[in-house]
Amino acid sequence: MESGIILSIRSISKRFGGVKALDAVSFDVGRGLILGLAGENGAGKSTLIKILCGVHQPDSGVMELEGRTFRPRGPEDAERSGICVFHQEIPVCPDLSIAANVFLGPAMPHRGLRPDWARMKAECRRLYQDLLGEAIDPDRLIRDCSAAETQLALLVRVLSRNAALVVLDEPTTALTPPEVDRLFVILRRLRDRGVTFIFVSHMLEELAALSDRIVVLRDGAVAGAMEQAEFDARRLSSMIAGREVASSRRAAARERGEVVLEARGLGDGRNFSEVSFALARGGILGIAGLAGSGRPDLARALFGAPPARSGCLVVDGAARTIGCPADAIALGIGFVPEDRNAQGIFHSLDVKRNVCMAGLDRFSGGRLLREGRLRSAARAAAVQVQVKMSGPDAPVNSLSGGNQQKVLIARWLALRPRIIVLNEPTRGVDVGAKQEILDLILRLSAEGCSFVVASSEIEELLVLSDTILVMNRGRAAAILSGDGATKEGVLLAATT
Amino acid sequence: MGNLDQSSGKRSAMSRIVGFRDFGVVAAALLIAVFFSITSPVFLTAYNFFNLLRQTAALGIVAMAMTALIVAGEFDLSVGAIYAVTGVVTGLCTKSFGVNIWLSAIVGMSAALVLGLLNGLLVTMTRINSFIATLATQMVFRGIAMVLSQGQPVSDFDDNPFYAILGRKELFGLIPVPIFWLLGCGIVMFLVLHRTTFGVRVFASGDNRDAAELAGIRTVRVKRACFLLTAGAAGLAALISLGYLKTVTPTQGTNLELEAIAAAVIGGTAMSGGVGSIIGTFIGTFIMAEVRTGLILLGTDAYIQDAFVGLVIALAVIINVRVSSRKQ
Repeated sequence: MESGIILSIRSISKRFGGVKALDAVSFDVGRGLILGLAGENGAGKSTLIKILCGVHQPDSGVMELEGRTFRPRGPEDAERSGICVFHQEIPVCPDLSIAANVFLGPAMPHRGLRPDWARMKAECRRLYQDLLGEAIDPDRLIRDCSAAETQLALLVRVLSRNAALVVLDEPTTALTPPEVDRLFVILRRLRDRGVTFIFVSHMLEELAALSDRIVVLRDGAVAGAMEQAEFDARRLSSMIAGREVASSRRAAARERGEVVLEARGLGDGRNFSEVSFALARGGILGIAGLAGSGRPDLARALFGAPPARSGCLVVDGAARTIGCPADAIALGIGFVPEDRNAQGIFHSLDVKRNVCMAGLDRFSGGRLLREGRLRSAARAAAVQVQVKMSGPDAPVNSLSGGNQQKVLIARWLALRPRIIVLNEPTRGVDVGAKQEILDLILRLSAEGCSFVVASSEIEELLVLSDTILVMNRGRAAAILSGDGATKEGVLLAATT
Repeated sequence: MGNLDQSSGKRSAMSRIVGFRDFGVVAAALLIAVFFSITSPVFLTAYNFFNLLRQTAALGIVAMAMTALIVAGEFDLSVGAIYAVTGVVTGLCTKSFGVNIWLSAIVGMSAALVLGLLNGLLVTMTRINSFIATLATQMVFRGIAMVLSQGQPVSDFDDNPFYAILGRKELFGLIPVPIFWLLGCGIVMFLVLHRTTFGVRVFASGDNRDAAELAGIRTVRVKRACFLLTAGAAGLAALISLGYLKTVTPTQGTNLELEAIAAAVIGGTAMSGGVGSIIGTFIGTFIMAEVRTGLILLGTDAYIQDAFVGLVIALAVIINVRVSSRKQ
């Protein structure tokens, strides 16, 4: 008889350069159970998943699948061994039918050179009935399916290839609560038929509702495990967060200036609603929240990109309409977007044009382009944020990611704004540049510039913010400040 | 250190703007000129040089404006049709309604600008790909020119200094006046695209539209302005052609849009937007004219000329891709 353990992970370690992503991680996955895997960003969850499906090779340690050594060379290899990973970015063909998407690949049923549509449709119907207990129309295009239906199609695709162990990486982020419930019913049903799942999620409630056992990763190591019976949200969140890093906290006691930005009942009719807060001169407001909580959308609305639909914004005591970025800039608000490459940098232009782009006429002293003036304005701003470059005429693409990020901050500093909204200010920059950016924000706030910082990294928000607004499913779940702003507190408000 | 930095910064800016960026296309133009000068004794004469430039004036004016539009991330396939509408409207105004030719030219130019505005509104309001949108308006505009003229050429205009000033006069008894229009437009376009803050916004809109919006640039306005500019250039080119030929046809300017895009591409303009230069396009236009004239002087079959121009375009694009990938 087979043992009760399908996959056993023994002292897996993995380094990326100087960073230890996984440090001797060991745990077992029971057959026919749902194992919850918890941990914050950077705890090592995704590295572990990538090792499981063969994208990365471990530096040391072994894995045993069904009692045999398991060393996948790549995703196809892992799939042949019966391990499938299911994540948000699996590519689908939106203009093909459900049946075609389920069977797409080298094993697609065919008759001669032509795909065997009749067999695929029949097979697809049978799989849905068999696996999910649902009837579907296999001819429907993926384009016409909801996110949940697309996900089910992918799940069927994975299961149709006889997967024994399915890794679900954040499967619920794009789903509405009823869709999540439906997915859970299906997953439990599949578990009862013998499929094993590793379920990765940020949402503690979901982990508790679905998992038979939860393993928590922290800083690349197993921080603890919990059986379903002993589950407790508070204990779990402190297990995820670990001990407080007290030294890096900013001084809580700071005199407050007058309110420069106030939101009253702000909403965009889609991603967030009824959000209110006040930001003082020189203050830093952090916005926390998981994916889908409305965190980046709220930050963007403060800059009018796109604007809020309801509620109002009060800037310096007067209600203002911010309908587009130009309005916000006129009010002295700057914005650093979350995706530097797609939304921030002009890759074909030089550093000085990139820095001066938000105030060309101002820096140039009119509509004629005076490169000399742009050059000195850019140099002044770049010195302030310590951009490492050969000069303001260097192509911006010659700069590293961290320095490009600083160019974006310099773009707003050059305008001397009163408020800067930052969305993921340290995404994709290395550790050293990250610290410099955080120090820079603290220094500028001491000089009287106010900040709104939206970030998925709670540590970062704890270091920076005097107030943290925690978003949860589009609502302001909590406003934490002073001693109340702890990692556990933020996690609890964001996940329950 | 700061001073040193500044001087080297200035020098590199100079060499990049004047020399380096357009170096390849200038070198190509010279090489082609050397080749034809050796193979044909009349190629390197003042007469041939000015004649070549005169013939290419209309194309050059349109191509340089189109460069700004492509840099902004859009295309205009309807410039040839706008060129025809402007000519037909101007010609009919003076011929059928007896309006003074100068006034007629203003009416024709206004028609061109209205069509450019329509293109700009269509593309920016519906967000249809400008390739498709202006392919549609090209047919519509060409249809307008056909209907207005009933498919017939308009000619036999009364005498007026207009024709001399726009196209027929030869300054110093040697240089045809369209060359001055071409150079004038070139200087204006160069200043607009490379020496104003508007020009920087054009580059920004085509380089990264989202980033441009987030930097407070109203990219819709920038693009509309570029559509207007391109249509205006097509209008002016039509008036120059009218001045020189003293006749207009509703089919004139067929393929003008493709030749303009080709000239821009030879000059190093990136089809994806955000990269391009007026000098490059100017030389690109010149190369196309050089190849055509040179082949005629060599006595080649007229039917083979387009094929050669096509080869030159392919070669230019291959070299451009190589050079830009090496830079990265």
